Amino acid sequence: MIEVKGLHKYFGKLHVLKGIDAFIQKGEVVVVIGPSGSGKSTFLRCLNLLEQPTEGEIIFEGINITSKENNINVYRQKMGMVFQQFNLFPHLTVMENITLAPTKLKKLSKEEAEEKALGLLKRIGLEDKATSYPSQLSGGQKQRIAIVRALAMSPDVMLFDEPTSALDPEMVGEVLDVMKELAADGMTMVVVTHEMGFAREVGSRVLFMDDGKIVEEAKPVELFTNPKHPRTKEFLAKVL
Amino acid sequence: MDFSFLRGYNIYFLTGAVNTVILAIFTVFFGVIIGTFIALLKISRNRVLRFISTAYIEFIRGTPLMVQLFIIYYGIPLPVPDVTILGMNMSRFIPGVMALSINSGAYVAEIIRAGIQAIDKGQMEAARSLGLTHSMAMRYIILPQAIRNILPALGNEFVVVIKESSIVSIVGIADLMFNTNVVRGALYKPMEPLLVAALIYFILTFTLSKLLGKAERRMRSDD
Repeated sequence: MIEVKGLHKYFGKLHVLKGIDAFIQKGEVVVVIGPSGSGKSTFLRCLNLLEQPTEGEIIFEGINITSKENNINVYRQKMGMVFQQFNLFPHLTVMENITLAPTKLKKLSKEEAEEKALGLLKRIGLEDKATSYPSQLSGGQKQRIAIVRALAMSPDVMLFDEPTSALDPEMVGEVLDVMKELAADGMTMVVVTHEMGFAREVGSRVLFMDDGKIVEEAKPVELFTNPKHPRTKEFLAKVL
Repeated sequence: MDFSFLRGYNIYFLTGAVNTVILAIFTVFFGVIIGTFIALLKISRNRVLRFISTAYIEFIRGTPLMVQLFIIYYGIPLPVPDVTILGMNMSRFIPGVMALSINSGAYVAEIIRAGIQAIDKGQMEAARSLGLTHSMAMRYIILPQAIRNILPALGNEFVVVIKESSIVSIVGIADLMFNTNVVRGALYKPMEPLLVAALIYFILTFTLSKLLGKAERRMRSDD
């Protein structure tokens, strides 16, 4: 579904991604782990071109989206993204947050979008918050709403950029539960996280990144119980 | 101190104050138009446009308003009608408003730019990640939030303009300062009319800031 070929990214002189090749299959949950500064978030943000790759190609559903000829806005509609800082729109209600993109991009009428939003809100148990503003919600609620906002566009893949890192510990569970449910429904997901439990339980494949490269990738059981690369061993010894 | 002259001359202060407010309203109106335009240039991705706006802002902020006023009033011959409206001669009023708005526009541009750039960049990223175009994200996400930052600061600019506009009295616009000087000259009283003018300026700006503070608090509590 997503193919990454020879991806390099520089921030000024800083070489952040040093040649990444990866393939994400439909229905897979790919979990990206690694130390801070290893380039995992940058890698994820390159997938929907929030960061413009310096070199290399991103092929999404057979189309080279790094090519200037293709309108990235069209492909972003099929790639939902969830951020560490939630990034809900504070001047809009929960309902407006969710329905803004589908209605403005003319994917759905206002009624259809609201019906769909209510359905999604019911699934995460927050239908009573439809008329609330983001400032009235807890961190965990905000992040679940942010997930729903992305889902409202019916994306083919969901990108998660450390979705639980800014949350109070007792709210991590409710967000992970929503993500688990999503995975169980067969959603294709790429998740950058420090939640090793989630990686082990839900991931179909784990990528370990260090210093701008994918050092090792394997099924979670294998990577966590029998890491091959010394860097992976060192990292896992520290976090597990 | 003798303020008994007020009985005969209050109309001078009254029309002067009204004219000062009219002058400030026009100035802020055109200042916002100029400022918005300059701010858009300033945040654009084109380097030439950014340079033009930076040059404008730096030049205006780095030179005295009086010099700018004289350049426009004496230096640029404008085809303005020699008619008088509300006691103000348009051939003086129009260049006066022009100079003040060109000046205020530079400050307004900075207010607007700061208001837009104060919005967390995650807002733009979230909007773009949903597939919205840059201009849709600006229109539906960034600007509505930026306006909340901009409006209170614009109110302050209005207060500043009320005070700064007194400079146009030197080219003969019948604002509060000009009329005060008329009274001083007519009565040979150097001090008392100035105190009256100061009090009126203060009442204008103080009431306005109180009203703005109220409006701002109401806007914040809407969140």
